[in-house]
Amino acid sequence: MSSVEKNSTPASEQNTANSTTDNTTHFGFQTIEKEEKVSKVAGVFHSVAKQYDVMNDLMSFGIHRLWKRFTIDASGVRPGNKVLDLAGGTGDLTAKFSQLVGKEGQVVLADINSSMLNVGRDKLRDRGLVQNIEYVQANAEYLPFEENTFDIVTIAFGLRNVTDKDKALRSIFSVLKPGGRLLVLEFSKPEHEVLNKAYDFYSFNILPKMGELVAKDGESYQYLAESIRMHPDQDTLKNMMENAGFEQTSYKNLTGGIVALHKGYKF
Amino acid sequence: MLANNRAVNISEQLMIPQFLCSAIELIMNKALALSNKPVSLTNIENKTLTLELAELNFPISVSASNTKLLVTSTGAASDCTLISSVTTLRQLQAKQQLTELIKQEQLDIQGDIKLAQQFARIAEELEIDWQTEIAKHIGDVPTHKLTKISEKAKSSLAQLITSLESDVTEFLIHEKKLAVTNSEIKRFNQAVSKTQEQLSNIESRLATLVNHSNEN
Repeated sequence: MSSVEKNSTPASEQNTANSTTDNTTHFGFQTIEKEEKVSKVAGVFHSVAKQYDVMNDLMSFGIHRLWKRFTIDASGVRPGNKVLDLAGGTGDLTAKFSQLVGKEGQVVLADINSSMLNVGRDKLRDRGLVQNIEYVQANAEYLPFEENTFDIVTIAFGLRNVTDKDKALRSIFSVLKPGGRLLVLEFSKPEHEVLNKAYDFYSFNILPKMGELVAKDGESYQYLAESIRMHPDQDTLKNMMENAGFEQTSYKNLTGGIVALHKGYKF
Repeated sequence: MLANNRAVNISEQLMIPQFLCSAIELIMNKALALSNKPVSLTNIENKTLTLELAELNFPISVSASNTKLLVTSTGAASDCTLISSVTTLRQLQAKQQLTELIKQEQLDIQGDIKLAQQFARIAEELEIDWQTEIAKHIGDVPTHKLTKISEKAKSSLAQLITSLESDVTEFLIHEKKLAVTNSEIKRFNQAVSKTQEQLSNIESRLATLVNHSNEN
């Protein structure tokens, strides 16, 4: 990460829409070749996997647990459902879904990163959650499942790390059953300017220092802050979902828009 | 209506339902783990009990897996739903009240009532030795002292409540004459019964007289 020159300009001053071409994409504030992004993101998550849960609690003051609960509540999951927890990482959503879908249902925890998947698998097995969970290492852009397989697909704090988000959304659309829904939980744009400023200060000044102290990796958390700013805002993501074929799309801002939950159906 | 929508929006933004459910789930699972008598969830595995309280604008659903309870704020896929209020739930502690509360439409049960009974039985089966649990964290001597203090406080509070109740009763009945004594109520009830009896006698005599006049 350190070998690539960084642009440290806050997101609000950046023109994100026109800063990439067909062959380039964002990695935080850097513009890089698309092929490079997968390995760079993989590097970040291999580095933070073991401290991921602790850092999540620290960085969000534990609120990420409520954001994830909100997602579960909004999913309308029922016993017997088949759920794909994409970019599921350390398995927080999978753990809850596994209990809610019961013996008749199934949850697939998929992540592109083997380190994250291993941490998730160990954690869930330690908690005795084994009977209805499968683990798959998969790229969201090329999901290795048959069409019309899942009732629910969730991707929590993962979409912003995907190189080609449109392709990933189309891939998700294809594996959903008709009537199925996608829930995207992701950092977004705060609704109020004061909150936006405070959030910017926290993300670029405090967060990397916390990463340095706890996970001994400040750069990965600098990337986290930058990637959040480069992620499409609420309405842009909603449009992207509609372009991928999703219907009845909507979003709900949580904690003043720091995070948003997008939902769309396949009919 | 607008104010209600606003309240729902604020509650959603602050994730109050999720916070509350998270706290309830933590307490329930902690209680299950602390129980001296092992509690089995096998009978209620994969079943969901939902509580819809008038005071809350969201449901509270409790689902059981083989070892844990999961609390969510979605009413979907519930096997049994209790629709009521916090006040009514407190009255439910007296078992004989159940039928009466349903009749008075203060409690509505939709779905499998046996599931609600199974959940209640699990709560009754819990046996938690609080002293041992507290002692693990603060030690034996402080726990003993804390127990003594809480017992003393409990007894003082009970005494205070009894004395307040009797003082208030005295004041209302004898000084302000706003309430009546039990014997007065009994006398009044007897008088009402006597009047009822006399009234029914008069009614039957009137009916006889009407019959006679019709025959003539």
